[in-house]
Amino acid sequence: MGNKRESAFQWSETIIAAVGGLKDVVSRPSTHLNDVVSDDMEALFEATFRLNKLINEPTDDAHHDAMNIIGAIRGYGEMLCEDESALPQDVLRGVKAVLVACQEESSGEGFRGLNALTDQKNVGVILAVDDMAENRNLVSRLLSKAGHTVLTAESGEEALELLQSQGVDVVLLDLMMPGIGGSEVLQSMKADPKLRATPVIMISGRQDMDQIVACIQAGADDYLLKPFNPVLLQARIAAGIERKRWYDKEEQYRQQLERNERFIRATFGRYLSDDIVNEILESPEGLELGGDLREVTIMMSDIRGFTTLSEHLPPATVVQLLNRYLGRMTDIILEYGGTIDEFLGDAVLAVFGAPKSREDDQDRAVRCAIAMQDAMTQVNEENAADGLPFLEMAIALNTGTVIAGNIGSERRAKYGFVGHAMNVTSRIEDVSKRGQILISESTLKKLTGDYTVGEKQTLSVRGIEESVVVYAIEGVAQ
Amino acid sequence: MTDTAHKLLLVEDNEVNREMLTRRLKRAGYEVVTAGDGAEALERMRDSAPALVLMDINLPIMDGCTAVAEARKEPALQTVPIIALTAHAMEADRAKAIDAGCNDYATKPIDFPDLLSKIAGFLS
Repeated sequence: MGNKRESAFQWSETIIAAVGGLKDVVSRPSTHLNDVVSDDMEALFEATFRLNKLINEPTDDAHHDAMNIIGAIRGYGEMLCEDESALPQDVLRGVKAVLVACQEESSGEGFRGLNALTDQKNVGVILAVDDMAENRNLVSRLLSKAGHTVLTAESGEEALELLQSQGVDVVLLDLMMPGIGGSEVLQSMKADPKLRATPVIMISGRQDMDQIVACIQAGADDYLLKPFNPVLLQARIAAGIERKRWYDKEEQYRQQLERNERFIRATFGRYLSDDIVNEILESPEGLELGGDLREVTIMMSDIRGFTTLSEHLPPATVVQLLNRYLGRMTDIILEYGGTIDEFLGDAVLAVFGAPKSREDDQDRAVRCAIAMQDAMTQVNEENAADGLPFLEMAIALNTGTVIAGNIGSERRAKYGFVGHAMNVTSRIEDVSKRGQILISESTLKKLTGDYTVGEKQTLSVRGIEESVVVYAIEGVAQ
Repeated sequence: MTDTAHKLLLVEDNEVNREMLTRRLKRAGYEVVTAGDGAEALERMRDSAPALVLMDINLPIMDGCTAVAEARKEPALQTVPIIALTAHAMEADRAKAIDAGCNDYATKPIDFPDLLSKIAGFLS
């Protein structure tokens, strides 16, 4: 039993290595697969992931499970080969290598299989640049035999042109060429963001060592002296390809991250503080935009009698007055990690706990309200200095369950909230007085900090059977 | 009648393998319902009326052969074709499967084109 499991695991390792090679090919930026193929490919990778997990954390029936998963991997491989024309050449080769690994014969000869596959892993597209035909031919022959695809260019100019249209994994660059010399080609490549990471191996005679050194300082990855040892050539090419693979993988990953980030910032950047956006960026799968039920603390605030106050003011002044106030309040709400949902004239609707809940949503909401009231002193000082009216704000807080989601249509949508808790908050806001912060019992219950709590009131709310108990918050307890 | 001619029940406990086979069978044009153990297999046979059953013989809870034997006791399930999926090494498994009431067997690793022609044979 032990032996059977051992050999099953060894076989699995061979297969996992083969799939690794396939994955490298598939993740190259130049590889394009249609939807069905991509889907099958993902399923194959997922199955391999499970196989890997199994050998690291064997189940009781590990051998049986491994055989089944290997069967699945092989099945996906067969599916992918059903339409060979749908696959790029190198991808097809990779899939076939996986199928070879899945064959019974491979099970006993893990090592041999593995070697065949590591060779598979290290082939790529090489560009050989040399003005002398016999040099190009020699390199071409040597490298093609090892399975690489070899492109040639007889001048620096031709090389640079080729590099713009072809994906190349490593460039073999002759130093001394008429026209644009090797150093210049190198410099052009390093200056081009698309080519900067492509490994370059300089080739020259011993007499030009000092120029070679200069090239290495300029970014060349390696060098070979003529006449060169073919084995050394292969080894350096292989190393260069390995380097390129790593770079390509990283690049793809980086681009994926950037895309996610842009989407999230575009969707939420305007409503949320930076650290909430950053938090979401760290785990975007956690976002439910389609609609989810959540407990949130709702804040509604407005300036008492604003309409009357502003009746006699010129429109531009009203906007200035409003924006000074809203600007200050926005800063505070974002500082306390609230989500600003809406401005309705002088009224602000903000929410604590969506799109992400935190343990201290209620406390932050209360402290935010206190900070907002405190800030009114300065707002009014500035208003007074400009001859503008004195403003007094009322704030209501309520904790309850709402439906949160991206509400609207394709042309116009916003992250909004629906539920009784919204109406209740509105009712509390109606009765709150100037300079007051009124919070519902539901919010009070969840507070962990110490606050000075004032008068208690009981309100009836239309549409809700139970009455709502509210408390005035006077500040943080000293 | 034409609808049930295309519905297969796949009984396989390994999730990964089950997903792969489901995908392949669907791609071949069949409707697929699945079960992960012998007891579930019996339930599905009763409530989904598949035209053919693919049954992995090594199953948890109620093993494949027991499930098949149980199924054959029920009048409604006496004639549905059942193809056993057996691990290749066990000759004894295959004999047991036929004795329990399976119509045919396919050995793992599954030769898919062969399996498809077996299925087509039973459904025609």
